[in-house]
Amino acid sequence: MKHILIIDDDETFKSLIQSAFDTAKYSVALAADGVEGLKSMGEKRPDIILLDIKMPNMGGIEFLKEINKKYGEGKTPILITSNISSMDTISEGVVLGIRGYVLKSNESLQGIVEAVERVFNTAV
Amino acid sequence: MTLLTILSVLAIPSLALSAYLLFREYESKGVIEKREQDIGRRMYELAILKEIGDRVGYSLDVQQIVDIITSSLHQFIEYAAVSYMLLEPEKVIFKMHLERSVHRRFVVDVRDRMLGSLGALLEREFNKNSVKEILSGAILIEDLDEPVQSFFNIPLVIGDKVVGILTVADTKAGLYKEEEMTILYKLIQQASKAVTRLQDVVRTEQEKVSAMVESMEDGVVMTDADYRILVINPAAKRIIGQEKKVEITIFDFIDNLGGKMDMRGRLEESVKLKKSFVSERFELRDKFYQSFVFPVKTRTALSEGDVLGGVVIFHDVTREVELERVREDFTSMIVHELRTPLSGIQKASELLKKPVAKKSSATSKQYVDIIYQNSSGMLDLVNDILDAAKLQAGKFEITREPADITEVIANRISFFDISAGERKIRLSVAASEDVPKTAPLDVQRVKQVLNNLISNSLKFTAEGGTVSVAVVLHEPGAAINDEFRKMKASVADLLPEEQFKALSQSLAIAVTDSGIGIEAASLPKLFSKFKQLDNKALVPNIKGTGLGLAIAKGIIEGHGGIIGVVSKVGVGSTFYFTLPAAHKEA
Repeated sequence: MKHILIIDDDETFKSLIQSAFDTAKYSVALAADGVEGLKSMGEKRPDIILLDIKMPNMGGIEFLKEINKKYGEGKTPILITSNISSMDTISEGVVLGIRGYVLKSNESLQGIVEAVERVFNTAV
Repeated sequence: MTLLTILSVLAIPSLALSAYLLFREYESKGVIEKREQDIGRRMYELAILKEIGDRVGYSLDVQQIVDIITSSLHQFIEYAAVSYMLLEPEKVIFKMHLERSVHRRFVVDVRDRMLGSLGALLEREFNKNSVKEILSGAILIEDLDEPVQSFFNIPLVIGDKVVGILTVADTKAGLYKEEEMTILYKLIQQASKAVTRLQDVVRTEQEKVSAMVESMEDGVVMTDADYRILVINPAAKRIIGQEKKVEITIFDFIDNLGGKMDMRGRLEESVKLKKSFVSERFELRDKFYQSFVFPVKTRTALSEGDVLGGVVIFHDVTREVELERVREDFTSMIVHELRTPLSGIQKASELLKKPVAKKSSATSKQYVDIIYQNSSGMLDLVNDILDAAKLQAGKFEITREPADITEVIANRISFFDISAGERKIRLSVAASEDVPKTAPLDVQRVKQVLNNLISNSLKFTAEGGTVSVAVVLHEPGAAINDEFRKMKASVADLLPEEQFKALSQSLAIAVTDSGIGIEAASLPKLFSKFKQLDNKALVPNIKGTGLGLAIAKGIIEGHGGIIGVVSKVGVGSTFYFTLPAAHKEA
C-alpha cells in the first residue's frame, strides 16, 4: 500500500481528493500547511506528496526547501497541485526536484489520481 | 477851408483806420506765419517720429533703436557730434558719430562729461577703462582745436530704469534752446515708451508661459543644441531629487536617471535627426514615469525652421501603474475566490457521478454539503461584486421604511450567536433608552452593513474575546464619546468628535471587538474598493473580497450617515456608523 501526503489549505479539495483514492491501494495523510506537512512526514514517510503552493505559515516552495535540506533532494516524489500557473513558480519547483505539476482547477479528481499513478509507474 | 477842414477831419480817422487795418493785417500775418511755422515743424517732427517708429519696428534691442534715432537726428538739430552711452553688465558702450571733424580732445571732453552725467544719474562711479569707445562719421583733425561750446544730455530711460544717455555737442556756442531740447525729449520719450510697452508685453507673455511651465506637474526640461539646460521647472528637479540645486546640468539628469532613460542620447537624436521619442515606463525614486523627447524648432509660416534644442517631459504615471496593479490584484482575487469553490463543486459532483455502489449516503451528503456551501459562497461573492458595480455607477438605491434599529440589531446578533459561541466569543448588545422605536431605514441594507461589521469583528477576534454592538441617539452638537460613555459602552479608542458635530439627530451604532486591531497606516484604505488588508499573514484562513466595507460605506452614505473606524493594535477596533433619525428629502 502506497502512502500519500496531501498538503493544502483548501479543506474541500483535501476531503474530495482523499475520497478519490482507492482505499484498498492507498493510505492518505492530510496537512494544512508546510509545518503540518513536515510533522506528518516525521510520523510516516509518504511515497508521494501532493503539494499546494500558496498556504499560510509555510508555503509549498519553502516546504520543498525544508525537505531537501532534511531528507536530501528528490528522495520523495512530489506533485505540485495548485492554481498558480506562473512559470517562475513552476521552474522554481523543478529546480527543487518536483516530479510534476497539476493545475488543480483544470484537472478532474480522476486526472489527479492518474497523475499520481503515473509517477508510481515510472518510478525506478 | 471848411471843405479842407472837413476833408482833413475825415481823412485823419480814415488814415488812422487804414493804418490800424494795415497794422492788424501785418500783425495777423505774423501770427499766421508763426502758426504755419509751428505746424510745419510739428509735421516735420511727426514725420521723423513716424520714420523712426517704422525703422524701430518691434525691436527690443535698445542699442539698435538708439542707433536709428541718432542717425535721423541731424535732420532737425545741428551738432558736430551725436553720441550715446549704454550700460552693459561689464562695460559702458560709448558711441559717437561725428557730423564734422573735431579734435581728439573734443571727443574725450564729451566722453568725460557723459560719464559724469551717467554717474550722477545712477549715483555710482564709472571707471574710464570700462568704456568701450566706437567712433564713426567725420575724421579727427588735430588742427581743429575747438572746445565743446554747446552740450546737451538726455537720459535714456526704459521701464523706469536709466539705461544710458544721449548727447548732442558742438563747437559753436548757444545752439541748444528750448525748441531743440523739446523735440529731442519727445523723440527719446516716444522711443522709450514704445520699448517699455513692448518689453511689458513680452514680459507678460513670458511670465504666462513660465508660470505655466513652473506649475506643471510634469517635469519639463529644455536644452539648447549643445544640451545646456535653458528651462527647467521645479517638477523636473523634484523628479531627479535635486529640488535645492540652483544650477542643474544635463549631468545631474544622467547621474540621477541611473541609465533608466538615455536623456543625452535621446536629445541628440531629437536635435540632429529631428526625431521625437516616447519612452517605456520606468521607475525612479518610488515613482513611475514615462518620458517624451521632442526637438524644439523655429517655425515660420512657410517652412520648418532650424532645431534650437530639445525638450524632455517627464510624465508621472504612478497613479496609472497603481490602478493597474490594483485591478490586476482584484482580478486575480476574484478569479481565486471563484475558482476555488467552483473547483470544489466540480470535484464533488465528479465523486457523486461515480457508481452508487461505491459510496454510502453519508458520504453523498458530505459532497452535497460541499456543493451547497461553495455555491452559497460564490453567490455572496457575486452579490458583492454586483453591489460594488452599483456603487461605482452611483446607482445605489436606498428604500426607507420605518423600522426599529434595536430590533434589526437583535436579529443580527441572534444570527451570529451560534458561530460566536463556537469560537467562545462573547457577543453582546446594548441600546440607550432614548433610541426611537422607529427610524427611516432600508432594513435589508442596514442588515447587510451589520453582517459585514459583525462578521469582520468575529473573524479578527481570537477565541475567548468579545464583540459588542452599542446604539445611542446622538443629539446635534453633543459629544459622541460622552453619549457612549453614559451607557457604559466601551470603544477601542475615542471616536473623532468633529465627524459627529454637524450631524442632525442620528442613531449612532458602534461595533467593538477585542481583536488584533488595525495599524493606523491601514485605516484610510479600509473603506476603499479593491483594497484588502494583508491580514492573511496574521490570521490564517481569512478570505474575502475586501468589498464589504466599501459597500457598507455606500449604504450608510446613501442613508445620509457617516461610517468610520478607530483602532488600537492589540486592543481592538470599533467600527461606527450613523443613520439620520428622521429623513429629510434632499
